[in-house]
Amino acid sequence: MSSDWTPIALSRDVPDGVTRAVCLEGSELVIWRGAGEAHVWEDRCPHRGMRLSLGFVRDGALNCLYHGWQYGASSSCVRIPAHPDLTVPPTIKANAYPTCEAGGLIWVGKEGAGALPALPATTTPVLSLAVATDGIEAQGLMRDLDGGRLHVFWHRVRPGKVMLHGVIEGSADVSRVAALMRQIRTQYEEGVAA
Amino acid sequence: MSLTTDQAALDQWYVLGAVSHFPFGTPVETGLLGEPVTVTRRDDGVTVIGAGRSLPVRTTYNHVWTSFGTPARDIFALPEATEPDRRWLYCGGVRVAASGLRLIENFLDLAHFPYVHTDILGSEEKPEVAKYEVEQRRDVDEIWATKCEFFQPKAAAASDGGQISQYMYRVVSPFNVMLYKTPPTAPNRWDVIALFVQPVDETHSIAHPFMLVIDPTSTDAEIIAFQQMIFLQDKIVLENQRPALLPLQPGRETPTRADLSSVLYRRWLKEKALTFGTEPRTDGVAAGA
Repeated sequence: MSSDWTPIALSRDVPDGVTRAVCLEGSELVIWRGAGEAHVWEDRCPHRGMRLSLGFVRDGALNCLYHGWQYGASSSCVRIPAHPDLTVPPTIKANAYPTCEAGGLIWVGKEGAGALPALPATTTPVLSLAVATDGIEAQGLMRDLDGGRLHVFWHRVRPGKVMLHGVIEGSADVSRVAALMRQIRTQYEEGVAA
Repeated sequence: MSLTTDQAALDQWYVLGAVSHFPFGTPVETGLLGEPVTVTRRDDGVTVIGAGRSLPVRTTYNHVWTSFGTPARDIFALPEATEPDRRWLYCGGVRVAASGLRLIENFLDLAHFPYVHTDILGSEEKPEVAKYEVEQRRDVDEIWATKCEFFQPKAAAASDGGQISQYMYRVVSPFNVMLYKTPPTAPNRWDVIALFVQPVDETHSIAHPFMLVIDPTSTDAEIIAFQQMIFLQDKIVLENQRPALLPLQPGRETPTRADLSSVLYRRWLKEKALTFGTEPRTDGVAAGA
């Protein structure tokens, strides 16, 4: 699996009009969705360093809680309310990262990232689950289920903490699969390879 | 954590709280500039112990002031403190996980009113910050912002409707600031609201709001509750700024015309070579250069 892309949340967990704070390898990111499209940015307004995840989505744009600076989908600042008549210089923009959605997950990419690996076209989200471990080697751990297959992806929050993201390909009982993911967590936290 | 070596920070007066908030006879542990300090109030005065010695103490404006160093000036003059009809209100200490310099800068900021104090100190319908004036008064070594105006739906505890408030801001030392604001009940005078910041360490502060107001109708509890509500709204923002330290390096943040007072405040801090509570620079420029 390409390491250019890292899954950081289930698409379901960032509905339209919502922001979500995510920590990836110690860096604070904000995921937000406007007009159906998910965006992953540095969780920091360039004006005064305010975390954008505390902001609000309105008219398909992300607005900083502190001074209402408004950022469009391109991450450029389009409005500074303190100066309503100002045409905002294009140099003022949030720090956006390559973002895509596939397999029911939101992925953040490195600059110049290649294509995403092949993923199941249709999935059912299960849950995201924090695990106290460093020790997950490969993305896309799979478990066959009655009528489907569990795919477990993950991102590292910081040393010693990983977030698992589970999706089901095909059909299966989501609550039973959630229980299976908790078993996988226990195995990792006890240092036993799943 | 240990006492800072930043001489510009050491050579200042700092508030540790309102005198009346310290119990008689019981030592109170607190912190200043990275060092524990102990405040004891007795019938014959207040003592402050820190870094293994007795520190100088003042009780100016009914607050406990101390210093680890040698301040170049005495505590600032506040002529309004002699006016007999003003009410003196001590709002208590609020802990904030941020640099004290961030607290001062937030206090100087008009543009956040519509978003952080929505429908109280500002309205989303009228977010514009009109041009105001800033100056560094070198004779008293203070920063002033004057001719500030802002539409406020509920400017103070005694407000019963919106008003265009007139403001002046006055920074008297790196961690002490006050504003002058038109009171709803006496449009020809100025309420004084001060914010004395106790920098416990570089990223933890205690804010001590202090008010000298003209308001013959509201109760003390109403005025203090109003101020505490405002400050708790500010705390949410202050604890979510990144970094927690104040950046002085150009390009780290993006000031606009509404931020003129912040620009001058940061320039003044650089001139003083104050580094406590500031983000370490990566551009090779030393403090005070």
